Amino acid sequence: MAAIELEHATKIYTIGEVETRALDGVSLTIEEGEFTALVGPSGSGKTTMLQLMGCLDKPNSGTVKINGQDVTRLNANQRADLRREKIGFIFQFFALVPVLSAYENVELPLLLNGVGAKERKERATALLEAVGLADRMDHRPDQMSGGEQQRVAIARALAPRPLLVLADEPTANLDTANGEQAMDIMARLNKETGTAFIFATHDQRVVAYAQRIVKMRDGRLVDGNANGSAK
Amino acid sequence: MTFKKFWVMAYRDLLRNRRRTVITFVAIALGLTLVIFMNGLITGMLDGMLRDTIRLDTGHIQIRAESYEVVKTSLLWRDLIDNADELAARAAAMPEVAAVSPILWASGVLGTASESTSVRVSGIDPASALFDPIREGLRAGEFLSGNGRGQILIGQRLADELGVGVGDRINLAVGNPDGVPQEGQFTIVGLINTGFPGIDNANVFLSLAQAQSITGSGNRASTVRIMLHDINDTDKVVAALQTPGLTVMGWRQLNEFIMTTMETGTAVYSILYAIIFLVVAVIIANTLLMAVFERTREIGILAALGMKGRQIMTMFLFEATILGLIGSLFGIILGAIVVYYFSINGIYFGDLGDVAGSLAFGTSLYTTLVPANLFLMAFWMLVVIVTVSLYPAWYAARLEPIEALHAL
Repeated sequence: MAAIELEHATKIYTIGEVETRALDGVSLTIEEGEFTALVGPSGSGKTTMLQLMGCLDKPNSGTVKINGQDVTRLNANQRADLRREKIGFIFQFFALVPVLSAYENVELPLLLNGVGAKERKERATALLEAVGLADRMDHRPDQMSGGEQQRVAIARALAPRPLLVLADEPTANLDTANGEQAMDIMARLNKETGTAFIFATHDQRVVAYAQRIVKMRDGRLVDGNANGSAK
Repeated sequence: MTFKKFWVMAYRDLLRNRRRTVITFVAIALGLTLVIFMNGLITGMLDGMLRDTIRLDTGHIQIRAESYEVVKTSLLWRDLIDNADELAARAAAMPEVAAVSPILWASGVLGTASESTSVRVSGIDPASALFDPIREGLRAGEFLSGNGRGQILIGQRLADELGVGVGDRINLAVGNPDGVPQEGQFTIVGLINTGFPGIDNANVFLSLAQAQSITGSGNRASTVRIMLHDINDTDKVVAALQTPGLTVMGWRQLNEFIMTTMETGTAVYSILYAIIFLVVAVIIANTLLMAVFERTREIGILAALGMKGRQIMTMFLFEATILGLIGSLFGIILGAIVVYYFSINGIYFGDLGDVAGSLAFGTSLYTTLVPANLFLMAFWMLVVIVTVSLYPAWYAARLEPIEALHAL
């Protein structure tokens, strides 16, 4: 089953009297376990696409289906439930909860999902070990480097064993070494866990990791690769 | 489990902006201290007023004829007690009773050659400890002697009005139990100033024997007044003294007017408390709203993680609760210290007492520490804090995750 399907998804932002078609009738299917890069210049609609896929926003028209379920009809609470269970997010800024330690940040989605204490500990510890931060578990975000914070964010995104992880410019604020390390980890975890990853990026190094590349311009897909799979 | 983590997050979030948190604590604590102090002051004033009235005027308990009306000074036969001495002796035998004495009241007109004024005549036993507070109020001359024949004690203020002093002779006209006026001439032996206007402005004192003889009421009395060692024994003693044909009244009944005034006063002061609570509420709302604005992006992250609006709301309410609890704790401690201090040392008002005439013997006001009130005020403070926090918390909860993420 497709992890996510967009059908004729259109998103229009109105600022003052100016209408911007951020997404213009896009249809795209992402299969489970894919490692996809969403590329295109600024303003091409990458972030909007991720927001629709992540149930953070609704399209003005068209549908978004996650695991076959049309999510455009869900209310705020139902979308929150869906995000909590099925979707992991990685942001450009290292979006950790500043008052929580690395371990607590990874544990938080598990707590919210009602995972028991023992399993929480096992899963959070295993993930932090997987991203190479076994010795940094008790550090707060402000005690960690950008690269370390982003690795915590990767571990946190994967904690609930989501269907897909959405990453918006995950390497944009990292230096080359840290950026590559983060991408290596994500590529490895993609293979190990079978979680689909979708990156919005214009970093060529990130694109190099992708199994599939979806190009965007002016809110549309380029190359007609919408329904194809690179696998 | 999740809730526990919310508490932890709320607590740590409060530590992030320590200065603001401390300022908020101080605002809550001072607000609560002020409310507690006001409450202590008002309670102290009303307590003092009641205590003075009981001490100087009503006593803890009175035994009266069933037909006697509290506010009147009727001398009619049916309103008098025949066996006052016997009743007094019975009461005196009880261990709870500190002092007991019969009193005869009459309305009278006090007159000099040029002035006259209506007064309440109290016939008292000059030897009874019950009237020590009157004796202590003696400002000139001396107290009534044993049988008090031809002697009268009047309020200093009354004397000033009439232009008389110690040693002067003065006319007193009273009615007898049959309603026939009787008149006598008395020598002013002393002037009193108890500081209690009800006594000083319109009262004259004769010895009981003298009052009984001028009114021709034999050995009857209007009331038997009782002071107890402990005010809390009132109900018990009232019950024990019940006698057919007579009414036994406790201090609450005897001071119904003051009790009502106290209740009204308390209601009025509640408005003042409400204003202070409101000021603190605004500070809390501001603190939390600032926290929400500062953490808009974090709220977006939490929402992206699948946290629901109601959970985000809960987190902010927890912050408010922690602020409220700790602030209130300091407020209770500080308030208790302040009220306790002034309950011992009093607040000095200079000679206001004499001028206003409302404070018995006092130039200082004493607060009263009521521990239950401390917690009641703190409870209300907490209720107010959590209630006003609903707005910032709701504001945070209804932020759209996408907009929250875009902030900054």
